[in-house]
Amino acid sequence: MPREYKLIFTGSMGAGKTTAIAAVSEIEPCRTDVANNDHAGHAKATTTAALDYGEVTLAGGDKLRLYGTPGQSRFDFMWKILGQGSLGVVILVDNSRPDPLADLRDYAHAFGDALAESRAVIGVGRWQKHPAPTIDDYHRAVVGLGYEAPILSVDARRRGDVLMLLDVLFHQIEAAEQRLGASTTAMETP
Amino acid sequence: MTVDTHIVSRIETAIYYSHIDALMTLQPEITGALVSTVDGFEIASRLASGVSAAKLSAMTSSLLALAEAMCAEAASGACRDLVIDAEAGRLLLMELPRRTQNLVLAVQCTNKVTLGQVLWAVRSCREELSRRLEVL
Repeated sequence: MPREYKLIFTGSMGAGKTTAIAAVSEIEPCRTDVANNDHAGHAKATTTAALDYGEVTLAGGDKLRLYGTPGQSRFDFMWKILGQGSLGVVILVDNSRPDPLADLRDYAHAFGDALAESRAVIGVGRWQKHPAPTIDDYHRAVVGLGYEAPILSVDARRRGDVLMLLDVLFHQIEAAEQRLGASTTAMETP
Repeated sequence: MTVDTHIVSRIETAIYYSHIDALMTLQPEITGALVSTVDGFEIASRLASGVSAAKLSAMTSSLLALAEAMCAEAASGACRDLVIDAEAGRLLLMELPRRTQNLVLAVQCTNKVTLGQVLWAVRSCREELSRRLEVL
């Protein structure tokens, strides 16, 4: 029987969450864009105020329900609401921002449960024009927080890049479930 | 957190305060009022102590954006008002038309008055504000 998976796209304002969901969704995505007045945060004209929503059906019939969070911390109540019941998290980081490693730490803190259970993947955007920090720098930052997660350079506009992120996230989730199953079996063994 | 001063002038902010003060005087069961931007920045507020204007501004933004998306999905046209009926009162959220960019108005009241009374008072306030803003 096909299963449904709830996945979260989070990350800083302008990191490409809305774009990434639109790039892969097979339905017209649900958007909650409003005019953006925080030009210090990002120069873009609109910003997500509540959520983005899209769907992807996998080859075997399983369905991915993709939820995008608002980026700004003043909307962190939405991070908690959307995060409930999610199976995995994609954290998108914009490498052109002043301190992308600090951005990563903020979202790693907010979605620490998913990172701790290896149900997260990190996508670094605008890396071609802004090569620092490097992927190694991100890796060190994640390890420094006590987590492990795959880190990929992505272009959120490209369907192939976003599908690759989801594919990697799925492998992470499967591996986490197998570990959980193995530990449960071990606990049940007298 | 408040919005950049270039979005709303001091004169305009003063107009919002005078109107929400008048609204709360006219209808004493209205216990709080807030004007904020569509993306969740506070502009003017009269709220009970302990209620965060910054948080309510962001939540108003999210709820109205979601209500708008739901109205579009259900082919119900533009969202006019959002009413939240709670155990200890009601919250009314609505857009405030403005020439350059709409704002949002959130009002909190007790449940000692009927919804119709509060809606009438708040909509009248909104219309009066719109008239004032047109001549600015």
